[in-house]
Amino acid sequence: MSNAQIEIQIIASLVAIACAIPGTFLVLRKMAMISDAISHSILPGIVIGFFITHDLNSPLLILLAALTGIITVVLVEYIQKTGLVKEDTAIGLVFPILFSIGVIMIAKNANDVHLDIDAVLLGELAFAPFDRLMIAGSDVGPKSMWIIGSILVITITLLIAFFKELKVSTFDAGLASALGFSPVIMHYGLMSVASVTTVGAFDAVGAILVVALMIAPAAAAYLITTDLKKMLLYAICFGVFSAISGYWMAHWLDASIAGSITTMLGLLFLSVYLFAPSKGIIAVMYREKQQRIEVSLLTFLLHLQNHDEIEERHVNHLNEHINWQKVRSKTVLDLALKNNMISIDNKVVSLTEKGKTFTLKAIDYIITNEDSQIEDMKDDFFLFRG
Amino acid sequence: MKRFVLIIVISLVIASCKSDKTSNGKLNVVTTTSMITDLVKNIGGDLINIQGLMGSGIDPHLYKASEGDVSKLSNADLIFYNGLHLEGKLVEVFEKMGNQNIKTVPIAEIIDERTLIGSDYFQSNYDPHIWFDVDYWKQATQYVAQKLGEAVPEHKATFESNGQRYIAELEALKAKLITTIETLPKEKRILVTAHDAFNYFGKAFGFEVVGLQGLSTATEAGVQDVQKLAAFIIENNVKAIFVESSVPKRTIEALQAAVKSKDHDVEIGGTLFSDALGNAGTTEGTYIGMFTFNVNTIVNALK
Repeated sequence: MSNAQIEIQIIASLVAIACAIPGTFLVLRKMAMISDAISHSILPGIVIGFFITHDLNSPLLILLAALTGIITVVLVEYIQKTGLVKEDTAIGLVFPILFSIGVIMIAKNANDVHLDIDAVLLGELAFAPFDRLMIAGSDVGPKSMWIIGSILVITITLLIAFFKELKVSTFDAGLASALGFSPVIMHYGLMSVASVTTVGAFDAVGAILVVALMIAPAAAAYLITTDLKKMLLYAICFGVFSAISGYWMAHWLDASIAGSITTMLGLLFLSVYLFAPSKGIIAVMYREKQQRIEVSLLTFLLHLQNHDEIEERHVNHLNEHINWQKVRSKTVLDLALKNNMISIDNKVVSLTEKGKTFTLKAIDYIITNEDSQIEDMKDDFFLFRG
Repeated sequence: MKRFVLIIVISLVIASCKSDKTSNGKLNVVTTTSMITDLVKNIGGDLINIQGLMGSGIDPHLYKASEGDVSKLSNADLIFYNGLHLEGKLVEVFEKMGNQNIKTVPIAEIIDERTLIGSDYFQSNYDPHIWFDVDYWKQATQYVAQKLGEAVPEHKATFESNGQRYIAELEALKAKLITTIETLPKEKRILVTAHDAFNYFGKAFGFEVVGLQGLSTATEAGVQDVQKLAAFIIENNVKAIFVESSVPKRTIEALQAAVKSKDHDVEIGGTLFSDALGNAGTTEGTYIGMFTFNVNTIVNALK
């Protein structure tokens, strides 16, 4: 593995961490698409910068780009505060307008210059290691590594310094202002960090990957945990994992690095979505099946409780009486036996002491309209779940 | 957290250590556009390893790098590129690569700046499509031969004689092109295409060149541009307009529709190669084949 390849992975990982932190808050605040908006709305900043300097390589262009990013955020916030439209509508209103202003400025004044976002922001991970930073004539590493590294250090410092404030203002803006710090300032601070990170990361890895790294790891982490600290940590781990595994996928396929990392992010989210312990699709399906069987079990026990007649309690008659299919009634019967709720004597089912207690308690709860208590009770009575 | 990242990276390094150097003692030369790849092949032949970054039909402004390009670039000893912002941000990257023991040569630097076509608005930005002037390409040939000779002194004589031979071929090409173009009456020498790639061609061969889009392929043509150009086509009785291989067809089709709506007819004369050569192995896959094809297409359609 060459130096360039190692450096690409380091840059990609740094970008992943720098994006995951503001990304987590953006996802929680339902403003995830602001990063996409910023990556478009920076165009007029770049164009104005070019008109001032007449130089495509001037750092002023990137500075003005970040500034337009912040303007985007302020405008979105302003429109949203009117209460007339929702967050996503406000985002959708602001960035196409800013982008179009940029396009019109190019068309009117610079039609014969190669002026677009790509011409100013590198946006290609493959070339990042070749754009070196030279200090006093010696090579200290790729420029984008230093830019993203600095952004990351600032982000982490701000995160540690204002963690409590950010947490409260994200989840309860009213409480935040009652406690004496303005949620609006927190909001602008966070959005400015997101804007600067987007522009900096854009230069290093390109637009689509920035958006993907901001949203996908945070969204996946949100499926696993609701603890903010853990969510940040998981988002960072997911981001770094996708960055590095995506790089190697690109290596084996000889494909675009940013494209492969984005694909990995998609796959990662999909697998978390399927396999997450409590919110994942498979876990939810399993839980639903379990509950269906347990409800059937309860119905069965109630039936036994209500009927003393032997013919009503005969195993073979169960199908007709409670209208169950054979497989289902066998499952329910097995479960009841395993949990020592019933005993079968000469093909006649009767409740055990434990079964009786359970059923009577359940009836109590149902009568007093406290069905939810049954779930808690199950833990005390069940040795095996459905 | 950074330490955590580093641990992952380092473990991956150890897990997958392998050498990418495929050098067999020959100079590793990387080229950008297919025109430059063709030029360097004609001079270097088998004496050097040549790897082109952009294949056929790829617009240099919209080129996306693959992971393999990283090793190509980091193993390169010498890189030839067009320059004049043709390769976008990549030009800036190449300019900085000199610090890493990789020699990078923008072939446009050999051409006298005063003869280049500059932007109306910003004088320091020039039209980069220099390969459409055969004389410029002759200068580029000489320059590439010289740079290759400096890099591999033992083959200097071969590179020079290859360069001379290729220059002779280019001269023959130019003479042939002029003969073809002379069959076309002067007043019919108007070339309407999708974007401004053919300005040097027009200057060298006496064509009036009108592009629908600006220089950057990323900008879109405005409604007014289409209407103005349609009026121009009717006024000058232009018979055909042209599509370019690396620009989508629809803008030119929109222009054709605009002309038709004014009860006039203009046909699409064919597809011209502008920012990239044809597929490797075909006649249009070489500079000479491409230029001949373009001129034949233009002359046949406008006749």
